[in-house]
Amino acid sequence: MGLASYVALRVGWAAVVSFIIVTVTFGLFAAAPNPSIQQAATQAALQGGDPQEAVERQRQLRGLDEPLHVRYLDFVTSIYTLQWGWSDYRSQPVTTALLNAVFYTAQYSVPWTVLTVLLGPLVGVYSAANMYTWRDHVATGFAFFGYAIPNFFFGIILLLIFGVWLEWIPVVYRTEVPTFSLANVRQLVVPVFVLVTGSIGAIMRVSRNESADFQNATFMKTAKAKGVSPLRAYAYHVMRPTLVPLSTTLVGQLLAIFLGSSLLVEVVFGIPGLGRLTFNALVAQDTNLVLGATLFFTFLAVIGNLLEDLAFTALDPRISYDDRQL
Amino acid sequence: MPRGRQTVRQTGGPSITRRQWLSALGVGSAAALAGCSGDDDSEGTGTATSGGGSDGTPSVSGTYDTVTASAFSTLNPLYNTSSGAGTAIGYALDQGYTFDDQGAYFPLLYDLSTTDDGSVWVFDVREGLSFGDPYGGVTASTFVYQIRELHQSDWAATAASSSWRGINVEETGEYQFQAEIPEAQLLWPESYDPLLYPIPTDLVQPYVDEEDAEGLQQDEELLNLSFTGNLGGYTLDKWERGSGTTYSRNGDYYVQNIEAGPDLFSDAPYFEGASISVVEERASRLGALETGEADSAGIPPERFSEFQEKPQVETFRIPQPFNRILSVNMRDNGWNAGPGNLFRFTAFRQGLAAAIDKQGMIRGIFRGLAQPHYTWQPSWSDWYPGDDAIEQFGAGDQYGGDVARGLVEEAISESAFDYRFDGGALVTPEGETVTLDLHHLAGGETFQLIAEFIASELDDALGIEVTVEAIAGTRFQSNYWTAEPQGGTATIAGEEVTWDQPTLTNPGPRSVTAAESWDMSIVYGLNTYPLNPLTNEVFFDGPTAQYNPVGYYPDFDARGVFERAREADSEDALQEPFTELFRNLAAEQPYVMLVFGDDLIGYNPDLVGPTENFFNGWDFPAWYFDA
Repeated sequence: MGLASYVALRVGWAAVVSFIIVTVTFGLFAAAPNPSIQQAATQAALQGGDPQEAVERQRQLRGLDEPLHVRYLDFVTSIYTLQWGWSDYRSQPVTTALLNAVFYTAQYSVPWTVLTVLLGPLVGVYSAANMYTWRDHVATGFAFFGYAIPNFFFGIILLLIFGVWLEWIPVVYRTEVPTFSLANVRQLVVPVFVLVTGSIGAIMRVSRNESADFQNATFMKTAKAKGVSPLRAYAYHVMRPTLVPLSTTLVGQLLAIFLGSSLLVEVVFGIPGLGRLTFNALVAQDTNLVLGATLFFTFLAVIGNLLEDLAFTALDPRISYDDRQL
Repeated sequence: MPRGRQTVRQTGGPSITRRQWLSALGVGSAAALAGCSGDDDSEGTGTATSGGGSDGTPSVSGTYDTVTASAFSTLNPLYNTSSGAGTAIGYALDQGYTFDDQGAYFPLLYDLSTTDDGSVWVFDVREGLSFGDPYGGVTASTFVYQIRELHQSDWAATAASSSWRGINVEETGEYQFQAEIPEAQLLWPESYDPLLYPIPTDLVQPYVDEEDAEGLQQDEELLNLSFTGNLGGYTLDKWERGSGTTYSRNGDYYVQNIEAGPDLFSDAPYFEGASISVVEERASRLGALETGEADSAGIPPERFSEFQEKPQVETFRIPQPFNRILSVNMRDNGWNAGPGNLFRFTAFRQGLAAAIDKQGMIRGIFRGLAQPHYTWQPSWSDWYPGDDAIEQFGAGDQYGGDVARGLVEEAISESAFDYRFDGGALVTPEGETVTLDLHHLAGGETFQLIAEFIASELDDALGIEVTVEAIAGTRFQSNYWTAEPQGGTATIAGEEVTWDQPTLTNPGPRSVTAAESWDMSIVYGLNTYPLNPLTNEVFFDGPTAQYNPVGYYPDFDARGVFERAREADSEDALQEPFTELFRNLAAEQPYVMLVFGDDLIGYNPDLVGPTENFFNGWDFPAWYFDA
């Protein structure tokens, strides 16, 4: 099996996975009672009308009187054509709600991810190079502090210090400031700092321990003997092999903590992003929006997995795709 | 900006379509104007330019920025049922009328009058009101069309639909129409039922023709309030979902030309703009108030005295009619401690009320910032019967273990089961200690404190063991508080009573129950309707009242009392039936009444306008910054 057919298979498999998810979702929906129908019945009872009639009417209105396979086809078609329905909780189409939220989430998650990915390994390697010195202890202490302190609590404390006491940053997040402006940097610097300190610890520790293995590797000795500068030696000979195992965990890790951490930080700093959107949709029982957000994250994970696999296949010559299991 | 439409205070949760019942309010949500702001540049908030208007009116300056705890789910005036979004709509669109600081009717879009005993009401629409292009002027037909084709239709299910059932509306002139209501009501305006938003006929007509409720709910112009013309003090610039609303001043606001009202209306409004930002974290809202980013915000009781000390915040205590109550479940899924259901005995509920120290609760939990709640009316209401006329359980000599035990003994003697006291502890016929669960709303610290206080008071006075459990509002509502309407009949005090129109909140007799069993809860507070106590019919006009989740069957002739109140031909004549109503409710404790917590609000000290009474904000257009 060649590379091309492997890639084709892998993409096909991703499509099948997404399809299975959509089907299971539909199954759950078909089995669950529809709140809008109960509401219609209640309304009719209140108005002195006939609840049964109202239920029928509502079922017709929502196409629930169609046979199951027709409803299933409609559902699948609307999912893949991005007709995700109307969000009652936000009074706008689900896709618009998701896009809006992604726009605000991206404004802090992009710098957060970039900084974590850049700084984590750097600090880790630096720590390893200065193993058991005070520098190492400071870096380790910092990592554990950031990892241990709850994000929302740290956020409130920093908001109190820099927002309320020193008044260096605004307390209320404003959506009307331009994306690329100093004002936006000012209102996002603390949330990003909180998130980075929260997520950098794990990556830093992993890279510290990974790179410790390479510190004393023969190629490092050779490099030092040849008079390579320490900076270059670390950057080229330690960082590179360290990043190979890291890069797999990195993507997965960031995806996993994306929703949870961002929810709490969004609540504290009042950022109208994905975390709050999803959480509030759940609380408000806004079915369409919950479904949309869930599908969004699922598709993201499926695509992320796919890209990771494809990148590996293309980049790492040691991985043979002949005996790879899908 | 009138408030008080909502009956129930709860946190989150889906709101039921009947607007007089439910409206989702945020935790500790405060009055219409409570909130915070955020003006990023220090130039913005509250800095008045020097000088004033030529006629002595203040100059227009600054932006009035507030915050709110939860996002708005809709700004469509026809469908909104929440008070938070009501405020956001109110900045840009006036309703028919309001009540001034004395509680007197104040006409905005129309005047209301009745020539007879309150069965025919005449609406006189103000001239000179106009929508934005292309919708033209507001006339009587604007309202008549809206009432007939939307509120009285069987498809639209608008928020106001329940207010217009069975009412005959006739257009009697270009600017006048009348409504004939089935049962005369002298205080009809005070029930908020005749309150309407102006909505352009041409805008809604396509949906009416199609009977398209969904399209009407989702209409962009209604959601973005882009038709408001001269009908509001501000124009909505943008509603950023999940983040809030921003407004700019409307220079040709119609109140500038009206005769009545404060002189300040002549140049109103006095802010260049306004905004409401959604900030879910309370600490952040309070921080914004402190830095001046917010011109107002609600303050929790435990931090009120701290904010009283701050020069950059002016604090207000505003009495309000929403109560804190202990609901006890008299339905078949209540009283899970043993056989029978002691909650059904008036004397037992009195015993519970007598066991809980109201003043202690006010001191300990509310820091003195609340009023005791003895009957279904706050003491500042015109209809409050007076302290001497009613029972006052949980205070003075009506408080304490001896009183409570005496009342419980009385209930036990009426009961078919041999409950008894064993060394000061109430035990079941089998001799087990009586253990009851108490659900409180999760996430609100005050709720938890009240629950724990009640638990310790009931343990001290009656030896009842209380298990305190936190619960999410949505879950409580769907599995405990409401049930599928089933209807049915029951024999009550020898009379056969039929549930003809069962509702989610009164699904039938006591045998019809919610999915989960529960004993006691403090999740919901209700409105006591001090402007028009007749509205309390929804809770108390007999076992079949629309809103009766706890299965309360009045011992007094409740229906007869409401009947007499409806038939009263003058406001003086109303006093007697209302006094009887509140005397009986104080005695029967359908819900064990605890306290009325004050709304605690902090304002920017430069702000002129806020007052410490329930009608605070009625003259919002006249508020200004005095730097």
